[in-house]
Amino acid sequence: MSPLRVTKSRDEFEGEIYESTVVVEGRDLAAPRDGAAGDEVGRPRPRVDGRARVTGAAVYTHDLHLAGMLHAAILRSPYARARVKRVDASKAEALPGVRGVLHRFNAPEVEFRQEKALFRDEVRFLGDEVAAVVADSEGLARYALTLIAVEYEVLPHVVDLEEAASPRAPKIDPDGNVHDAGSYTRGDTRRALREAEATIDVTYRTSTQMHNALETHGAVASWDGERLTVWESTQSVFGVRNMLKDALGLAPAQVRVLCEHMGGGFGAKLGTYKYAVIASLFSMRLGRPVRCVLTRREENLAAGNRSATLQRLRLASSGDRITAIEHETWSNSGQGRWAANPTGPTNTLYDVANVSSVAHRVTTNAGALSAFRAPGYVEGTFALESAIDELALRIGVDPLALRRRHARSRTDPRTGNRYSLKRLLDCYTIGAKEIGWSERRAGGTRGSAPHRRRGLGMASQIWGGGGGPPAYATVHFETDGTAVLRVGVQDIGTGTRTAVAQVCADEIGLRLDQVRVRLGDTEAPYGPGSGGSVTLASIGPAVRLAAHDARAKVLRAAAGILEVRAQELRLERGMVVSEGARTPLGDVMKKLDNSTLIGTGLRHPNPDGLALKTFGAHFARVEVDLRTGEIFVEKIVAVHDVGRIVNPLAAASQVQGGIVQALGFALTEERIVDRGLGRVMNANLEWYEIPTAMDVPEIVVRFVGAPDRRANNLGAKGLGEPPIIPAAAAVANAVANATGARVRHAPMTRARVLAALSMAGIA
Amino acid sequence: MSLFSYTKPRALSEALRLLRGGATALAGGTDLVTLVRHGVARPERLVDLTGIEGLRGWSREKGKGIRIGALTPLADLETSAQLAKLLPIVRESLRDAATPQIRNVGTVGGNLLQRNRCWYFRDEGVPCWLKGGTRCFAVDGESRYHAVVGAHECWMVSPSDLAPALIACDAEIEVASSLGRRRMKLADLFVAPQGKRRREHALREGELVAAVRVPEGALERRGTYLKAMERKAWSFAIVSVAASARIREGRARDVRVVLGGVAPVPWRVAAAEKQLEGTALDDNACLAAADTLLDGATPLRDNGYKVTLARELVRRALRSLAG
Repeated sequence: MSPLRVTKSRDEFEGEIYESTVVVEGRDLAAPRDGAAGDEVGRPRPRVDGRARVTGAAVYTHDLHLAGMLHAAILRSPYARARVKRVDASKAEALPGVRGVLHRFNAPEVEFRQEKALFRDEVRFLGDEVAAVVADSEGLARYALTLIAVEYEVLPHVVDLEEAASPRAPKIDPDGNVHDAGSYTRGDTRRALREAEATIDVTYRTSTQMHNALETHGAVASWDGERLTVWESTQSVFGVRNMLKDALGLAPAQVRVLCEHMGGGFGAKLGTYKYAVIASLFSMRLGRPVRCVLTRREENLAAGNRSATLQRLRLASSGDRITAIEHETWSNSGQGRWAANPTGPTNTLYDVANVSSVAHRVTTNAGALSAFRAPGYVEGTFALESAIDELALRIGVDPLALRRRHARSRTDPRTGNRYSLKRLLDCYTIGAKEIGWSERRAGGTRGSAPHRRRGLGMASQIWGGGGGPPAYATVHFETDGTAVLRVGVQDIGTGTRTAVAQVCADEIGLRLDQVRVRLGDTEAPYGPGSGGSVTLASIGPAVRLAAHDARAKVLRAAAGILEVRAQELRLERGMVVSEGARTPLGDVMKKLDNSTLIGTGLRHPNPDGLALKTFGAHFARVEVDLRTGEIFVEKIVAVHDVGRIVNPLAAASQVQGGIVQALGFALTEERIVDRGLGRVMNANLEWYEIPTAMDVPEIVVRFVGAPDRRANNLGAKGLGEPPIIPAAAAVANAVANATGARVRHAPMTRARVLAALSMAGIA
Repeated sequence: MSLFSYTKPRALSEALRLLRGGATALAGGTDLVTLVRHGVARPERLVDLTGIEGLRGWSREKGKGIRIGALTPLADLETSAQLAKLLPIVRESLRDAATPQIRNVGTVGGNLLQRNRCWYFRDEGVPCWLKGGTRCFAVDGESRYHAVVGAHECWMVSPSDLAPALIACDAEIEVASSLGRRRMKLADLFVAPQGKRRREHALREGELVAAVRVPEGALERRGTYLKAMERKAWSFAIVSVAASARIREGRARDVRVVLGGVAPVPWRVAAAEKQLEGTALDDNACLAAADTLLDGATPLRDNGYKVTLARELVRRALRSLAG
């Protein structure tokens, strides 16, 4: 047996570096030398569960209806801030079919997110949990909520970021509403700004974006007297298990979390929410399964969001160099206790000698933020990349040329570590050619209709996505020669299930349909949450090792059965191939009776002293109607440098989806809150406008495709988040190029575009 | 959600009897069902009109114009090639209305009688003036999609795409009740909530819209409908404009200009139309008319851009009639 060793691993997750202890066993495989496709890896493959999903056969958490299942519904605060003085649930409890009510005066003590109680005595946002009912049907449970009488003492509130940051605002937190959320410096920005030939000082705003996954948050909990099983629409089955066991005082082995299929998460389902605890508490009390799923309105009040930001950027240049970037940000975290720091790209993207950034978290009486696909980086890139263009315009330099000059460094400026691979310049070259950048003119060009101007814009992307340990995979063979691959991750819709099946099939030498994937179950050895673009880069290398192990074993067994030397055998698409003979693997396995061959694999640590990053660039071509402020996004070219592409079809779909979501952020998606009422006015899909099919432009997807051989044995990095990062800034820059007017607030609604045009003396 | 009774009569007379008794009419349900679900409407009795024969479909009688049954699905009007030839403005107005699914279910009568989309009105937790409260929350609240002109106590806007288009065609409606039938101008169906009148429509208790009539004369006019939305599909109008005119030797006659999305009613100003009579619909004439239409506009905090937008859409719509 190979020796075990205990070591440290440093891995990036959503812009932060975390160190963890990992146990390593055996040796890793070398990554493939070039980007050439194998039999499966590198080939476009439709999703293995695609048919089940589109025919409705796939069972999502929302679809689950267990025998004897009850339904829970949550009463939410109608005030942005209030003290819950009295709760009278007697009428609700007296209603036939109501099985229980929980509220702050009768709920058990629950340790949840550093708070002791599930229901707060002071509710702090409109939508905060006040009570919960469990009943025979969902309709009955919701009706019973209306029978609960709550006496509130209404308290002063503040919901708006800039209001909350002002000294006159009511103090939501005892120590004030504005908190430090990280800072960074290199060089001397003050001096560089003082000595610069040109400077700009601009303020940008981004509005609160809401996830609106197709499937709202929800859980079904079932207690059998000893163990709790929870089906949850989640990005992290292990994350939910750990939070639930702590909240409920159970042992890890007493909680099993399952997520077979899910209808989207985008970061909001990385955490655990009170509805899951409520469903579990009711189930443990009543001994029956309990379902609790959120309505669309609840989803948009109390299930996370991308913080609104206010960002001030000062840039300095001398000659053709950017000499300094200073970036200060304020993020509306609502009732969240962290901020998605927008300054990540500022600190790491460009070779600029003097950088200083300060991030602030501002508490308000609004729902807590949650991770949202590249948290911080989407907001920060909108501001940074807009500012780079504004500086380029000021000094009369082509904005792409300006970026090229500052994108050559081989080392991560924050850590001094060399990049394992960086092909950002290639992204620029490929994208510029594809969009026709050489046709870009300062001041834009004529559009396709009267009063329309056309413009080109681009922006860069940096993100982590290197993944890391721990993550495990096992592969075993059925008696028919097909393989079962078991992993502790979940597929949140990105195509993880298909990608790991491809890696497994490719390594063993099976057809894709000969690999069955079991995932989304905490009964498997650990797998990471699907966030930070880490899933494939974490689990993929473990799958490859497990498959490699399984293949070696099956070839040795086959050699015994076929009475040849193992070295003379190989596996090709499910056939055992030897000199002059091809035997189906199933025929070999049959002769082994019930002997089972099991391969195991784990994720080895990331290489020491290397920075694992993903890079990319988006190019946009837009037209803008100068009289109506309407933006027509005609084409987006997306080029990403994320190492080896396992499934080009799924990868392209990731990029398209990221761009569509980015266009929502750029153009239409915005939470609108009435300040006086503290109320979200568009917690629905009517006035919270996500892009429709008609809003989607032509999207061209390109990958540099070179495997990152130093990163891991697959040479692959993550792609979940990169495609949402640069598109909004690329569009904003294209709008500015087309019109000569700069819109500094995302989304760029009609009102904002018309205001910017008017300010520039155009409309 | 409240409890209600539900009846689906086959005869119009039976429906009218039930309506007389205070029941609420249900047709496609694309609006009413959401109002009930969100607790804004609390009907005790619903009368489903969709079982009634004879209120569906449209026809043309030479010399008498077009008659459209109130239960005709919007999609039928939108997809009829024959109607598109006679009255292209109807197709133009419906093409960007809601979604194909909603147009399949939504009816002409329901579209004209839909409630407004103001987010304060639609939120059961907000006691706004239109729902019997004391004030309009948009006035010092979130007002980017609210009225810029013609508002009194309530700053919601008329949301229908079809209404401005039909008003630009001088449409009338047949109103039925158990007491008989009456005809009225479609424009008169819409009223700005004011004083004791906390509603958007002029129907009396127990009445329903049975049909829409477009007079023959309107078929001879050119018409067009333009709509500004926040995204490219499935949005209510930020501003819309329906315009029609007869063009004789390059001069405009019988001009109609109706704005949607800017006022509590489809917004029309006689003086604006009058000043376009006999003009060549050149830029200056169009913009001057737009200014008359929007004269006295008093935008709220967030919706001044609607005036800019309306002005340009009016100009474009009228220019396209001239062209």
